[in-house]
Amino acid sequence: MMIKQFLFVLVILVGAPVVGGLLFGIDRRITARMQGRYGPPIIQPFYDFFKLLGKEHIAVSRLQFVWIYGYLVFMIASLIFLVMKSDFLLLVFLLGFAGVCLVLGGFSTKSPYAHFGANRELMQILAYEPVLLLLAIAIYAQNGSFLISEIFKQDKPLLFTLWPLFLAVLYVLTIKMRKSPFDISTCHHGHQEIVKGVTTEYSGPYLALFHLAEWYEIILLLGIISLFWTNPLWVGILIALAAFLLELFIDNITARMTVGWMVRLSWSVGLILGIINIAYIYYTKGVS
Amino acid sequence: MADQMMAIAILLPVAAGFLVLAVRNYYVRNVIVIATAVVLIANSILLSLRGPFTYTPGGFDWGLLITVLDYAILIFYLYVGISLRNWLVLIFALTQILPLAYFEFVMKAHIEVAPAFVVDHLSLVMTMVISIIGSLICIFALRYMYDHEHHAHIEKSRQSRFLFWLVLFLGAMNGLVFANNLVWLYFFWEVTTLCSFQLISHDRTKEAIHNAARAVWMNSTGGTAFILAIIYLYATQGGSSALSMQSIIGGGIQSSIAVLPIALLCYTGFTKAAQMPFQSWLLGAMVAPTPVSALLHSSTMVKAGVYLVLRLAPVYAGTYLSTVIAIAGAFTFFATSALAVSQSTGKRVLAYSTIANLGLIIACAGINTPLSIAAAILLIIFHAISKGLLFLCAGTIEHQIWSRDIEDMEGLAAKAPLTTLITAVGILSMFLPPFGMLLGKWIALEAAYIVPLAAVFFVLASTLTIVFWTKWLGRLLQVLPKIERPFEKLSLSYSVPLWTLLTGIFVVGIGIGPIYQNFLRAATNDVVSGNQIIAVGLNNLILTTPSFMQRDILGLFPVWPLYLILIVALLMPLLLIRVKPKELRPVYMCGEQTGAIDTDEWLAEADRKTKFQLGGYYYQGTLGEKRINPWANAIAILLLVIMLGCGVIVL
Repeated sequence: MMIKQFLFVLVILVGAPVVGGLLFGIDRRITARMQGRYGPPIIQPFYDFFKLLGKEHIAVSRLQFVWIYGYLVFMIASLIFLVMKSDFLLLVFLLGFAGVCLVLGGFSTKSPYAHFGANRELMQILAYEPVLLLLAIAIYAQNGSFLISEIFKQDKPLLFTLWPLFLAVLYVLTIKMRKSPFDISTCHHGHQEIVKGVTTEYSGPYLALFHLAEWYEIILLLGIISLFWTNPLWVGILIALAAFLLELFIDNITARMTVGWMVRLSWSVGLILGIINIAYIYYTKGVS
Repeated sequence: MADQMMAIAILLPVAAGFLVLAVRNYYVRNVIVIATAVVLIANSILLSLRGPFTYTPGGFDWGLLITVLDYAILIFYLYVGISLRNWLVLIFALTQILPLAYFEFVMKAHIEVAPAFVVDHLSLVMTMVISIIGSLICIFALRYMYDHEHHAHIEKSRQSRFLFWLVLFLGAMNGLVFANNLVWLYFFWEVTTLCSFQLISHDRTKEAIHNAARAVWMNSTGGTAFILAIIYLYATQGGSSALSMQSIIGGGIQSSIAVLPIALLCYTGFTKAAQMPFQSWLLGAMVAPTPVSALLHSSTMVKAGVYLVLRLAPVYAGTYLSTVIAIAGAFTFFATSALAVSQSTGKRVLAYSTIANLGLIIACAGINTPLSIAAAILLIIFHAISKGLLFLCAGTIEHQIWSRDIEDMEGLAAKAPLTTLITAVGILSMFLPPFGMLLGKWIALEAAYIVPLAAVFFVLASTLTIVFWTKWLGRLLQVLPKIERPFEKLSLSYSVPLWTLLTGIFVVGIGIGPIYQNFLRAATNDVVSGNQIIAVGLNNLILTTPSFMQRDILGLFPVWPLYLILIVALLMPLLLIRVKPKELRPVYMCGEQTGAIDTDEWLAEADRKTKFQLGGYYYQGTLGEKRINPWANAIAILLLVIMLGCGVIVL
C-alpha cells in the first residue's frame, strides 16, 4: 500500500511538470492564434527550460537562490499534499510559504525592479490567500473535515453548494496564472512590463527553476479546481481545463489593472462570495 | 515538597529582587540574577513533573499582609495620579480603593478560601512559560541595561532598580497563576500592574512617564472591574466560599446568576491583554528598554490577561458571552493585524502582532470547545517563545544600529549576519508552516467554524499577518552582492537567551505531539472541565484531538515531514550551494551603475552620482492608524458594551 502510494506520488511529481510545460506551450499557441500570430511549437517551454539550464550561474545576491529553491520545493510539497489527499488547509499554508519565498527572493536583492515586483507579489498574496482559506473553511463546513480524502468520499460534488466560492477561485486562478487583468507582479507574454517584475534578477538555471515551479503550480491550481467535482474525477478535470481556457480568453481581452484595484476587488467581491457561501452552509446545514 | 517549590517560584524572585536592589556591583548582581534564573527554570520543570496539587499557607496571617500591600499599591497610584496631575490615574485608583475599603470595613468581609493556591496543569504550563522565558529575558537584560546606560551616558546607574522590578515581576506572575483565592489573585494582578508601571517609566523621560501612567489607568479600570466582581460574588453567592476560583469554574455557584461578575472578570482580562480598545497602553510601553517589552509581551503581563479569560472558559461556555468574547478577540486579531501593516517601527510591528495573537487566543477561549482551548494553550506557549525571541532580537539589533526603524534595518544581513539569521527564523516561526504558531492557527481555524464570523476574521487576519512579516523580513534580508562576512560576536548575556529560545522553537515545534500527549492534553482537560476531575484522572473527558495529533497516536506523525520540507527547501540550499565570487553581478539598473559589482551608486539626472535607495511600502493611506483607529476602536467598544451587556441582561 505504502509503496503503491509512493510510486503514485513519484509519477505525479515527474508527470506534473511535463503536463504543466505542455499547458504553457498550448497557452502560447492559443494566445498567438487569438492575436493573429502563428505561435511557437507546443514544446517551446521545454526548449527554453533546457536552454536556461545550460547557461552559466549568475547571481546578484548570495541569498536569492535559496528563496527560488524554497519556492520550488514548497510548491512541490503542496502538490504532494494534494496528491496524497491530505489536509487542504495545510496545503494552502504551504502554498502561502511558496509565495512568501518568491517575494523574499525579490526583496533579497537591492534591485528597484525586483522590489516593485516583490511588493506586487505580496499584494497578490493578500488578494488570493483569503479566498483559498475561505474555501478551506467552506470545505470544512460541507464535509466536517479539511481532508481532501473526505471530498473524494462525497457523492455530491462540491460545486453544487460551493459555486460562489468556485467563482472566487476562478479569479484566484487568474492571479496565480499571472494573467491579465492580474498579471501584476510579472507576466508571460510581455504585455506591459516593468522589466520582468519579481523575476528581474533571476537568470540562467535559477530562472529555469522559477519556470519549473510555475509548471507545478499550474497543475496544483487545476487540481484544486477539479476538487469541485471529484465523483467522477474526469468531470472535475474537464472543468479545470475549461477554466484554463477561460483564463487564456480573459487574458487576451483585458488589460493589466493596478494593484490597489485587484486587492479591493478581491476583498470586496471575493470575500462577499465566500462569506455568503459559508453563511449559507452554516444556516442550512448547521454545525456538523 | 511541592509547597516549598511553590514558595520558591513566588518568593525567590522577590528575595532575589531585594538582593539585587542592594548590590551595586555589576558582576555580583549578574551572578545573583543568573543563579535565580537557573533555580527558577529548574524549579518550574520539577514542579511540572510533579503534577497538580493544592496548598494553603499557614503559620502567618498572609491575608492581612496582602491586604496591607493592596492598600499600599493603591495609595501609591493615588500619589502617582496627584504628583503627575493625571486625573485618570487618580480616578481609577479611587474606584479601586473605595470599593475595597467598603468591602472590608463596611461589609466586614471575612475571607477564608481553602485551598488558597490550586496548581493544575494550566498553572503548570503557565509557570513553565513564565519561569523559563522570563528568566532568559532577565539574563538578557543584564548586558542590555549595561549597554543601554553606556550609550545614553547615564552617570548614576539605575540598573539595580530595573532588575529589581524585572525579577519581582516573575514572582508576581507565578503567584497569579497559582492563586485560587480571588482576593489574592487580585493582589498579584495589581503587583504586575505596578511592576509594569515602574518598568515602563524606567527611563524617566516625559514620554515614558506619560505612557506608564496610561498603562496604570487602563489596567486600573480592569482592577476596578475585578473588585466589583469580587464584591458581587461575595454578596450574592454566599460569602467567601464564592471567592474560590475552583468553585467558580467548577460550577459551585449558580452560573446563571454569575454571568455579570464573569463578564467583569473577562473585561479585566481584556484590559491586561491590551485588547482593542485598550491597545494603546501596550504600544506606549514600547518606550521602555527592550527587555521590558520582551517580558510584557511574551511571558508575563499580557499572558495574565489571556490566562484569566481562558481560566473562566467553562463558566461562560454555551452563553452569548462566550460568542461575544470569540468575536471581540477575533476582531482584535483582524484589526491589529491590519494596523501592523502600516507600522515602520520594528517594535510597534511586534506590539501589534502581540495584541493580534492575544486576540486569537482570547477568541479561542470564546469559541470554547476542547479543540479551541487546546489551540489557545498551544498558542500561549509558541507565542511566548517566538515573541520573546523576536523582542530580544529587536533589542540586539537596536544595540547594533541604534535604531528601531525597519527602514534602518535594510541590509542588516550584510552587517550582522548572525542576528539577522536568528531574527529571520523568529519571524518565519510566527506565521509559516511548520512552526508552532501556524499549527495553533490551523487548529484554531478548525475549531472556529462554530462561530463563523470569528472564522472569517481569522482568515483575513492570517493573510494580513503574512503581509507585514514578509515586508519586514524583506527589508532585513536585502543585500548587495557582497563578499561574505564572518558572524559577528555577541555578548554571552545576549547569545545564551537567543540561542536557547531559538532551540526552543524547534524542540517544542517538532516535539509537539509528545508534549501535547503528556502535558497539554491534561491542561486542556483541566480548563475545559473546570478541574472537576483533578483527582480522578484525565481520561474521563473525551477530547477531540486535532487531526494531526490523532494520527500521532497511530504512529504516523505528520509534523516532522513539514520540517523535512523546510530543510529541503531552505536549509539545504543554504548549506550546500555556494555562490562563487565570480558569479556575482550587479543588479539591473540599465547599465547605469558606477564602479564595482557591489555598488549602489548610479548615474542619476545630469550624470550625477547618486546612491539609490529602496524603501518598504507601508500603505499609510489605507491602513494607517489615523484611518483605521476611529472605526476599529468604535467597533471594539461596542463589542465590550455588548459583552458587559450580556452579563446585565441575564440578571
